[in-house]
Amino acid sequence: MKTALLPGRNGGSFTFAIRLLAVIGILVCALPVAIVTIMSFSASEFTGFPPQSFSFRWYQDVWALFTAADASSAQSVSEATLTSITVAVLVMIISTVVCVPLAYVLARSERRVREGMETLFTLPLVFPLVMLGIAFLLMAESLKLELGIWRIVIPHVALVLPFVLRNCLGAMSGIHVEVEEAAVSLGASPARAFWDVVIPMMKPGILAGLIFALIISFNEFTVTFFMYTIDISTLPIWMYSRTVSSLDPATLAISVVIILFDLVLILLVDRLIAGRANLF
Amino acid sequence: MSDTHLSIENVTKSFGTVHALADVSLNVDRGSFVCLLGPSGCGKTTLLRIIAGFEAASAGSLTLDGKSITGQPAHHRGFGMVFQSLALFPHMTVAQNIAYGLKLRKAGRAEQSQRVEELLEVIELPNIADRPVSALSGGQRQRVAIARALAIRPSLFLLDEPLSALDAKLRENMQIELRRLQQKFGVTTILVTHDQAEAMMLADELVVMKDGRIRQTGKPTDVYRKPADRFVADFLGSANLVDARVGPGGKLVFLGAQTGHVAPFSENAKVSVAVRPEDVRLSLPGTSDTPVNSAIAAQVVFRRDLGAVSEWILSVGDVEIRARCPRNQNPDASVGDEVAVDIDFEDCQIYAG
Repeated sequence: MKTALLPGRNGGSFTFAIRLLAVIGILVCALPVAIVTIMSFSASEFTGFPPQSFSFRWYQDVWALFTAADASSAQSVSEATLTSITVAVLVMIISTVVCVPLAYVLARSERRVREGMETLFTLPLVFPLVMLGIAFLLMAESLKLELGIWRIVIPHVALVLPFVLRNCLGAMSGIHVEVEEAAVSLGASPARAFWDVVIPMMKPGILAGLIFALIISFNEFTVTFFMYTIDISTLPIWMYSRTVSSLDPATLAISVVIILFDLVLILLVDRLIAGRANLF
Repeated sequence: MSDTHLSIENVTKSFGTVHALADVSLNVDRGSFVCLLGPSGCGKTTLLRIIAGFEAASAGSLTLDGKSITGQPAHHRGFGMVFQSLALFPHMTVAQNIAYGLKLRKAGRAEQSQRVEELLEVIELPNIADRPVSALSGGQRQRVAIARALAIRPSLFLLDEPLSALDAKLRENMQIELRRLQQKFGVTTILVTHDQAEAMMLADELVVMKDGRIRQTGKPTDVYRKPADRFVADFLGSANLVDARVGPGGKLVFLGAQTGHVAPFSENAKVSVAVRPEDVRLSLPGTSDTPVNSAIAAQVVFRRDLGAVSEWILSVGDVEIRARCPRNQNPDASVGDEVAVDIDFEDCQIYAG
């Protein structure tokens, strides 16, 4: 049966429109990445596009920034990078430790409870990030505690929870309670059955959640902008500080490195979930 | 002499205000194959889950080999169970699935692999030990699930509609296989099903349930021949339930015709008669093989030939009766024709009301 809306073999009336939309979509998604990548290879100090000549000088600059003991800036890029990685790893671990049992309990609870809780944990997504940043800042200041790195970790956990939880719930939905009962009938205690059966079956969803937590936390800017201090800052904040007055092409080179790193992780997620979990 | 293995006493289960099981008592003999049969929602699965330990009874007790297991957690009971969804572990190979219960019992590697091989031999699927479960066909998964449950040498073997997902032919083969395995291992078995043919085929002891109560317990043929009430008669073998009354001398008046059969009810009592479709004999009226005395005139409403047997629907007044005749006893009649219906009431059960 032919459907009028879908392009037919000889090209339906909508083929042109669909192709045009696809091209626009791809351009919008890919252009920033392409421009940043091309610009990072520019040989000139001036950040005009397209560059007149190409070189690796900005990559060498980045290398120098990381290796040289930096006294000029209040916080060195290597310190910021280390903080970013530490924060991302902590966020990844905490959100997973929270979400795996949570997803298990929600998946096994009443539908009404499950849906209510899912909505609750999705709230950080609909909250304007600036307001979320202000809210966390107010909370952190009113606590009057020396939070250290946790002043960034805690807001990040709130931000990544919906993604990690969705992935874990997606993984749980494929695990019938009878599989657990089978393990129990064979002599496993309920805790052992959870460990032997539920966790391995959830693994793709858990890993996908881990990687999302890592990427989102590592790239987070808005909320972190409210929370960073002179001592505790992240790489995106450092990059912003280098571009706010005039664009330092070295940040473009850093971006390319981060993009490559994220790309590898996203490809990994794609392999892991293969249609079994969702990204909203 | 009966040797009671599992004894269920006065088990009741309520979910809020809903009574899933009401005062169920049942004794299961050692080595016997018991089928819990009933329509969906009759409580048969709840009863099995209480036996397995996945649900706690609201009241009542379970006794295994004379010891109470009422409050014992499921993982200490040591019952092998086959689930409706089979519930194989998809992240393990066939061998790992079968050996899982042995691993939990800290059996040595050699013992585990020996037992796995032994069971794969029994289910006639050697050489699949290292395959992932996802690579198996429906029938193979079925057998692996059975092998996994039997690997732990269970004291009770529980099955929750394990064959319902298979197609008809495969199901029939698996029924034979299951019965053969059960007899080979001599394990006391309880199977839940809503399929009366399956229950008839497998059971030593048939337990018919409805609305959380046991309606009848007995050997399949006894339950089939002498259903205790109208529900059992209808559910098992789809009997015709025909309203009748008792005439003078206790003789049955069936569809307006006076019969010679004496029913054990008082005169003028209203009764209903359960007539099995295969107990209805048909002939052409006025031919030599028409029984003169008890024949009732009926009209053919529907007829279909299924090869070995033919199914008929006949109307007598406003009552419809289903009949099933062997191939060589079909009268030469088609829809609209008149036939003579003859029923031997000795084969029928008669219920009050």
